[in-house]
Amino acid sequence: MPTNNISFIKHHPSKQLLEQHIEGKLPLSMALAVAAHIELCPHCQQLEAQLTPQIANASWAQSKVAQRDLEQDINVDACFSAMLSDITESSDDNTSYHESEPLAIECKGMTYTLPRAFTKFHQLNWRNLGKISRARLPFEEAEVRSSLLHIGKGGTIPTHTHKGYELTLLLAGDFEDENGHYVAGDFILLDESHSGHSPKTSEGCLCYTVSNAPLHFTQGVSQLFNSIGKVIY
Amino acid sequence: MNEISIEQQKQLLVSVATDRDKTAFAAIFSHFAPKIRSYGLKHLKQEANAMELVQETMLTVWRKAHLFHPEKGAVSTWVYTIMRNQCFDILRKRQATKEDNYSDDIWPIFEQKLVTTSEDPSNEQLNGELVTLIATLPKNQQVVVKEIYLNQRSHQELADQLGLPVGTVKSRLRLGLQKLRLHLENDDAY
Repeated sequence: MPTNNISFIKHHPSKQLLEQHIEGKLPLSMALAVAAHIELCPHCQQLEAQLTPQIANASWAQSKVAQRDLEQDINVDACFSAMLSDITESSDDNTSYHESEPLAIECKGMTYTLPRAFTKFHQLNWRNLGKISRARLPFEEAEVRSSLLHIGKGGTIPTHTHKGYELTLLLAGDFEDENGHYVAGDFILLDESHSGHSPKTSEGCLCYTVSNAPLHFTQGVSQLFNSIGKVIY
Repeated sequence: MNEISIEQQKQLLVSVATDRDKTAFAAIFSHFAPKIRSYGLKHLKQEANAMELVQETMLTVWRKAHLFHPEKGAVSTWVYTIMRNQCFDILRKRQATKEDNYSDDIWPIFEQKLVTTSEDPSNEQLNGELVTLIATLPKNQQVVVKEIYLNQRSHQELADQLGLPVGTVKSRLRLGLQKLRLHLENDDAY
């Protein structure tokens, strides 16, 4: 689909979120979003490359080996010796490493190549409602829901607010709402403090969304909105 | 225990990669194992899990040593990323009913040592620099470095093709890599 070439990613994860990601502290749903954003965003790739050695050094410095009693020391050392010989006696890994093929998915007659972070999610069940299609990703994270969301050409999501947080990572296409126009790679994290918005897309778009509470529609509560809410969250 | 310098760590890991040098690996192991155990106790809480983390991390270091790029960063950073990925997967397996590992898709830390036509200018620049540097090596070493380092041929395959003992292939590779490292370090000094 044609996009103008002067489109820059304007919305990035915060530095704090990026640091938590590098430390491996984020839940899978959010780690995927940050990883996919980094893949699409040269600026954040650079930032990750700078921060990783710093975080690694800080972590090693904290991993001070505590004083232990002698008996435990002897046990640990014995474990380590056995482990060392097990490892060096193990057969070599002769498989040459190949990057996995990026996953291409089809939705509404369009084919999209997903970022590498999504490689393992090839069994997607799409639910459709008008121009909106959603495929839930199978994470077991309490109330957190993660989905791929496709909105067809000219589609809109009615005005809504969020009781919790809503992360939208635009993977392909573009959309706009009351706050601006977004391009592939934009990482948009909203919480309950923001006022309602209603995303619209002229050319169609594919997003990855993570939220921890149902959307709250503000334009009257019709059956339609409730069913959209169920599909989207 | 004496700390080993950043440079020594690189040399040790390159020896592990090129010669499967067990003594070099033992030095890396004794440096990192207690630290990984301590990280594991902090993040995974249990002794058994902490030891599992040490084993999984160090086994990966042993097996994937040939995928470490000495010119791209420190051994300690590379080992940290392997440990972080293993820890992420161990934690998720504990919580989830599925046995999938996602960490390598989230943080791809084993890049292929292949010259690919990438659109990332920094990669192309690095590859370009490396190719130029490799061209300054003696012909014998050039062939070995290119085939193994850039085209991922195995030592044995290449030895068969050139009609040489494997030991000769390995020592040429080692000499070539040492020269490349010296060049790259001198470049850093400017």
